[in-house]
Amino acid sequence: MKYLPLVWAAIMRKPARAILTLLSVMIAFTLFGLTIGMNATFEAVQEAAKDNRIYTIPRFAGGMTPLPLAAARQIERIPGVSVAGYQNFIPGYITDPKNRVFLQMYGDNARKVFTEYPITPAQWDMLHNERDGVLVSQYQADKWHLKTGDRLTVISPLVKKADGSTTWTFKILAIVGDMAYNTNGYIWGNYDYQDKALPLAKQSQVMNLQVQTSDASRTADIAQQIDESFANSPNTTQSITEKAAFDVSNSGVDIAKVDREIALAGMFMVLFLTANGIAQAVRERFAEFATLKTIGFSDAGVVGLVFAEAALPCFLGALLGVGLSVGLSGMIPHLMPPSMGTPPLPRVTVMVAVWAGLCALFVALASSALPALRLKQMDIATALSGR
Amino acid sequence: MLRQIWIVSALNFKSLTSRFWQSMVIVVGLGATIGVLLSMMSVTAGMRQAYANSGDPGRAIVVSQGADSEGQSSITRTDADVIMDAPGIKKDTDGRPLADRALNMGVPVLRNNGTKGYTTLRGFGPKGVALRPEFHLVAGRMFQFGKRELIVGVGAQATFQHMKIGDHVILPNGEWPIVGSYHTGDILEGQLIGDTETMLTALNRTAYNSILVRLTAQDALATFRKAITTNPALQMTVTRHSDWYARVGDQASGLLAVLAYVVGAVMAIGALFGCLNTMYAAVSTRGREIATLRALGYGAFPVAVSVILEGVALAVTGALIGAAIAWAMNDGHQSVWGQNIFVLRVPPSLVLMGVSWALAVALAGGLLPSIRAARRPVVDALRAT
Repeated sequence: MKYLPLVWAAIMRKPARAILTLLSVMIAFTLFGLTIGMNATFEAVQEAAKDNRIYTIPRFAGGMTPLPLAAARQIERIPGVSVAGYQNFIPGYITDPKNRVFLQMYGDNARKVFTEYPITPAQWDMLHNERDGVLVSQYQADKWHLKTGDRLTVISPLVKKADGSTTWTFKILAIVGDMAYNTNGYIWGNYDYQDKALPLAKQSQVMNLQVQTSDASRTADIAQQIDESFANSPNTTQSITEKAAFDVSNSGVDIAKVDREIALAGMFMVLFLTANGIAQAVRERFAEFATLKTIGFSDAGVVGLVFAEAALPCFLGALLGVGLSVGLSGMIPHLMPPSMGTPPLPRVTVMVAVWAGLCALFVALASSALPALRLKQMDIATALSGR
Repeated sequence: MLRQIWIVSALNFKSLTSRFWQSMVIVVGLGATIGVLLSMMSVTAGMRQAYANSGDPGRAIVVSQGADSEGQSSITRTDADVIMDAPGIKKDTDGRPLADRALNMGVPVLRNNGTKGYTTLRGFGPKGVALRPEFHLVAGRMFQFGKRELIVGVGAQATFQHMKIGDHVILPNGEWPIVGSYHTGDILEGQLIGDTETMLTALNRTAYNSILVRLTAQDALATFRKAITTNPALQMTVTRHSDWYARVGDQASGLLAVLAYVVGAVMAIGALFGCLNTMYAAVSTRGREIATLRALGYGAFPVAVSVILEGVALAVTGALIGAAIAWAMNDGHQSVWGQNIFVLRVPPSLVLMGVSWALAVALAGGLLPSIRAARRPVVDALRAT
């Protein structure tokens, strides 16, 4: 610690260089925080995915092509399936087509499926008993300024009632908690209420099924079994486990790998910059280091000084950069158009911070290695003479 | 003046070798920045290219009013007949209109990496091929009309499992064999094609998704559109095929382009600081040399220009290296993004963009150091150690 002033004086010998180096490092770590932080979010989403849940949708997705409600009963007969929840939906808007909402209308057994949701048994009871009731998550409640007891009127040109009306009116039963990775919140209503209001031809249809298995290790097999049991029927299905559905690589591109590569490119850039800066600083002050050695500094001491000179901007830059990435990701929701909702945001978890620290350490070590070697091998007399 | 700039700059470049590693900071900084930027943009460029190739300005597409995509559109058989009789449509050699009723549906596929996804199964009518000169069968044979057979694009074959000729695709009410493969050089290459009418029956559907027509001439669009939109029985939108796909392509790739620019811009800022750092260092290392030149009578301006030129040369070198790496790593590679299957592209326009970014960074990064170099008092610089 007592050498800190010495290190500081060495760095501030060229304040412009010190500041520019620090800024470069900071920017590279901002990028690091955003990309690796994004990966942390992807991992957390994947981690939160239930390993005993399957989503079953019509195999030939046309958006609004449904499956028959009877499929739920049929799936429940497959050994290993504990419950098959079912859902219809009302995509629509509140007063203005810009204000898009998406109402998910669940059957009575949804409480046995979505056990991880912050919904109390009393709230589930209300949802089942009050047929026109909806549960609104905090995010959606804040977005549309809704509170318990309010009426919610949704216009849905795509889902017409039996009488041809497109206006659906609901009573808000309760405002419930959000799920961390359902960044746009949710509005849940009662399947039966919607179903009874639909034209006869559209009744007893479901848009997707949520299948719970009793043995998590067999979930993937059961998903396949569901599809096989509906193959060659008019209602072919496509089942995907929640683990697979929440996996970001499911888009076809390994985004996590792309993120790592971007972060790596940034690190490569600062490695070069820092290494060069240190090499130059040592070159310029070679005679001074010789003096230090003359007055009794050990090899290790001098090397330590050089390392400290490299490490200070690296760690400070990493700290500032990762900090800046936290600030930036907090700003993203405000930059997105409201119609697009909130995307998943990068999160600086402990692991991200640890990795940033390790990267900073590596850059500092790698960039001070060669200059340190030179100092170790220096011939004091030659160095002092300035030759 | 020019002669002075030339001499001072030449001197600069000759002494570059002595500042090799220092100069490499700029080269590496911009190499990494442009490499990342162009690699990310190769996705956008590839996707846009695929969509642009799909849209022929000599064709027009008809969809139902308000439909953003072919999937959202629905055209009944009666309406389809009316549309295909409209003026402005080119006639084939057999006297029939060069128009095709098309069908679209999503089909689940297994990607080579084991993930599940969707691709588009498209229905072609009798004029489907005649409408598309870009369509070439490369292996096997064409599907037969009236039969439950499919042909597959080479992009889909490269991206998905079970897409070889002889493999079967599960469709509603049965499995359809793949009998041939085709090349189009556009977005259709990642899709499957079958007979529209047979698909219609198999899917239990009664309506088509869209109608594609060949116009008698590129400027016949107005005639055709007027005939469709003034017919009170039809609620349709007519779009030039190239405009249609330009919009779809922008929609599909827009977010990716924004991401690429954001990441590129952040890296460029980092590279800018590196550039400033290097150029300040270069100016200070060469302080005495510059002062000597000034003492010999060289002007401040040539000195400043030479400093900027040095930065520009290094930055452009870096950008070109980065672009070359991005090109080697990406260009020509088959890629998939959601339901879009396409080939990654690093076209010259992207390289040009990379070089312009590098130029901007170099100019911004060289300006302040060059001013310092030019304004430093000669006597001070000569005395400095």
